[in-house]
Amino acid sequence: MMDTYKKLSLLSVTALVLLITGCQTAPPYDYSALIASKPKSILIIPPNNSSIDVNAPYIFLSTITKPIAEKGYYVFPVAVIDHFLKENGLPTPAEMNTIPLDKIREHIGADAVLYVSIEEWGQKYQVISSTSVVRSTLRLVDTRTGDLLWESTAFAQQQSGDGGGGILGAIIAAAIEQVAGSLIDHTPQLSQWANQGAVNNTRQGLLDGPYKKKE
Amino acid sequence: MKFNKGLSAALISSCLLAGCISAPKTTYHWGQYEKLLHDMYMVPGEATSIVQIEKITTDIQQAEALGKPVPPGVYAHLGYMYSIEGNNVAATDAFNTEKSLYPDSQTLIDGMLKRAEDFKKQL
Repeated sequence: MMDTYKKLSLLSVTALVLLITGCQTAPPYDYSALIASKPKSILIIPPNNSSIDVNAPYIFLSTITKPIAEKGYYVFPVAVIDHFLKENGLPTPAEMNTIPLDKIREHIGADAVLYVSIEEWGQKYQVISSTSVVRSTLRLVDTRTGDLLWESTAFAQQQSGDGGGGILGAIIAAAIEQVAGSLIDHTPQLSQWANQGAVNNTRQGLLDGPYKKKE
Repeated sequence: MKFNKGLSAALISSCLLAGCISAPKTTYHWGQYEKLLHDMYMVPGEATSIVQIEKITTDIQQAEALGKPVPPGVYAHLGYMYSIEGNNVAATDAFNTEKSLYPDSQTLIDGMLKRAEDFKKQL
């Protein structure tokens, strides 16, 4: 009886240690589907937006070409594609996200599609400080097979407002930051950082594409 | 799992914010492309097709001066701006440059040029 109890508690300690260490280092991504698919070109569909900021999809769209192209892939021109899809009867990102993969292959010739879902975007209003945040999920899909090749979360946040001068100073600083923040939008810069981070993460990022220049 | 990714992204972003990662060398000369993409949706008055043509043309000249390639999509974007201006000769030229620099764009570019031709025939 005692033995069983000891074994159980040892097991739970081991489980706890595993959980804790698991949180510290993310396991490397399973790249087998990406390696098998070897995409050369990536089409970025204007993102689905679950945030309350209506501008989020197009701010995101302006910050995703560079990291993926620098990673060694051909990235289709995002604004040309957006215009092309609108002209073909798909006025919103939500509708653009429903195009069948075979149509994408036939008319655009992309090897893979990056589907993006924006979860959080913009300034959070708090009493002491203000935080700007961007968070999106990215899913790269093979246009031939529909296989998921890679997925990641692009996330960044910036906190500001602790201006010193105790609690009142902090509240005033936060108020100023929130007013200023409504004029200066931090999300383009945050979105650049978030996408750079997601694509170039050492264990979870995207693998080098065929056009990556070897140094 | 989701937490792990979020955490590592947060670490990277805080690292970037603290400035401990220096900007990596880029393969391409990006110039104003990302800013123009942002502005054309967010402050369209500051990124009209005329302004964009001017800025992208400058970027392309700078890329040549620096000996760096023009990024994927930039010539196609320039072609799109020329087509808004109704300059179909310059537009076709830019689209063809995109295709010759980046053969991955062939299906898209050929389709666009063909539809433009068909449209002209209808007139």
